[in-house]
Amino acid sequence: MRSNVIFLVGLFAALGISWTGIVLGSHAQLGFLPPYYDDNQGTSFPQWMPGAAAQGQLVYRDLGCAACHTQQVRRPGFGYDQARGWGDRQSVARDYIYQPFPQLGLSRVGPDLTNLADRKPTAPDEEDLLRMLYAGSEDMPAYRFLFEERRVGVGAQHSDLALNLTGALEPPRGREIVPSARARELVAYLLSLRTTYDYPEAFPYVPPKAEGAAAPAKTGGEK
Amino acid sequence: MKPEVTATDSSSPAPLVVLLLSGLLWLVASGLLGLTASIQLHSPRFLSDCPVLTYGRMGAMAETAFVYGWLANAGLALALWILGRLAGEPLRAQNWAVAGAVFWNLGVAAAVAGVATGDATGFALLGLPGYVHMILLFSYAAIAVSGILAWHGRLRQVSYASQWYAAAALIVFPWILSVAHVMLFSAPARGVVQAVTAGWYAQCAWTLWLAPLALSVAYYVVPRVTGRVLPSYEFAALGFWCLVFVGGLTGGRHLLGGPVPAWIASVAVVSSALLLFHVLIVLLNLRGAFSGGGLSLRFVAFGIAAYAVGALGDAATSFHAVAARTQFTYFDDAARQLALYGAVSAMLFGGIYFAVPRITGRAWLSGGLVRAHLFLTIAGVLLLVGSLCGAALVQGRDLSDPAVAFSAIALHTRPWLVAATAAQAVLLLGNVALAMNFIGTGCGILNVSEPASFNPPAAMEARAP
Repeated sequence: MRSNVIFLVGLFAALGISWTGIVLGSHAQLGFLPPYYDDNQGTSFPQWMPGAAAQGQLVYRDLGCAACHTQQVRRPGFGYDQARGWGDRQSVARDYIYQPFPQLGLSRVGPDLTNLADRKPTAPDEEDLLRMLYAGSEDMPAYRFLFEERRVGVGAQHSDLALNLTGALEPPRGREIVPSARARELVAYLLSLRTTYDYPEAFPYVPPKAEGAAAPAKTGGEK
Repeated sequence: MKPEVTATDSSSPAPLVVLLLSGLLWLVASGLLGLTASIQLHSPRFLSDCPVLTYGRMGAMAETAFVYGWLANAGLALALWILGRLAGEPLRAQNWAVAGAVFWNLGVAAAVAGVATGDATGFALLGLPGYVHMILLFSYAAIAVSGILAWHGRLRQVSYASQWYAAAALIVFPWILSVAHVMLFSAPARGVVQAVTAGWYAQCAWTLWLAPLALSVAYYVVPRVTGRVLPSYEFAALGFWCLVFVGGLTGGRHLLGGPVPAWIASVAVVSSALLLFHVLIVLLNLRGAFSGGGLSLRFVAFGIAAYAVGALGDAATSFHAVAARTQFTYFDDAARQLALYGAVSAMLFGGIYFAVPRITGRAWLSGGLVRAHLFLTIAGVLLLVGSLCGAALVQGRDLSDPAVAFSAIALHTRPWLVAATAAQAVLLLGNVALAMNFIGTGCGILNVSEPASFNPPAAMEARAP
């Protein structure tokens, strides 16, 4: 290669193609995606996260929870996502439009959390999640630094928020474990995770059967 | 015969030594962080009570220190050295490079501290908090000035493959970082476009920045050590342009089946297969590395082999049927370690073992440490990648059976993850050997008054046993 000009132009063209194609292309397609207005319900979806949940997403991001948990459900027929009860439909781009920091994740050391607040048969409640964060387990670290150990007794009132712990986790006499504001925000975020509204694009297209004609071949990965 | 150590080398040690030394210190630091993160993966209670050391942050810190501390510093040092040597004159704008190197390392330190205190971004390969981007951008540009001047002012009009790769890496990084900064931090794109942009950045950082830095070293060291012209060299330009044009398009591989339009993943799948053409040309050109002697060449040969295997693995796992099993498992970690450690780091190690005697004018302090490092690197990478692949197989099998709970998966993968921890320890040991050897060799630099004008090349090679 002799010419610096050809080298530079080629390099910029190459990077320009991938940038316009991949990044700007997806931005043009999805960057202005509007919410979906449902005439029957008279409201639009997705809905904004409550304030505490939006705060909690920052805690989720800063603790690196996405290192082990994904928040994306793959379509039925591709992978095991439905079999594990993580969601009846695949996640679509519209699910994330109101999230300032979408946490799609790349690794499933732990379960997917897309529909954590809508798990069947029983979804975890606030107390379950707080206890899980405090106690940790064999496959998840404990987050004790999100909790305070406080003194109770004469001159120190019992907190309404104190965790109800038993067994090995029970704090010593005269002490109680109280979740910090960050812990409660994180849990509020986890409890806001549900994608229960079925957008039209969330299901693969199946062409309608023509009258009297043979059944058309199935398209898409519908089970 | 031309002297092996020329004025080009002896007149420009300052920026190279600053970059290499800080790179090696980051390498050891990231080894410690990576070892801790790897222990936490199978024993989650380890150090989990301290917010700074929690697993999510630890992994991001290890990656930031490794990529922006070690790979960037060492890769830049070797790129400047190669560009300077091939230009045939001493490096210009050395003060820019030294100042840039100092600020680059301050920026990386600020990034690691930021992640530790809660400013992690959660993006793969872009754990840098937004506020360090500007300092990194400008200090990178300052370092690159020296290399670009050397490339532009070269005495021969014809340029070589190692120059293309080095110059491309110097030019591309500021662009991709600034795009990522605007679209993810200063004016964040909406929803999943962020994931697409982050994937594009991560893939460009790998194929257009880190891989070219390593390939530049390989294309320089292999013909120099073997003393032979590269075979099929006329295809090298094709291989380069293939990487540059196709590499940036492979970013959507990880979003297969995800909440993005299918074309993003499809383009990436096709491009991963096309990229094999580039790898084929690299193998064709550099096949001499597998038959030559000398320890630096063995590092490079291992790196090339890891590069080829990694590209095959990437292409194979982008098929739907395979991805349904391997997606979201430890396979992703295995592929990343193979790419960043097995391929890029090994080639950079080879380049360091080749370059440092020529920069400092003295042979390596201890040949034994070099041999130990080679052995520990190869053993460590094979064990690390092998054990993570084993863990990925178990994890993929268990995940697809909904009856297996996550606690059982953790139990089943534990032996493999313990092996991965052992591998991290082996690698850390090897890197400590390199750092000690470098510091020991370098301590003599300061009192050399007259640069060695001629050393036979043989005296500079750390000999193979």
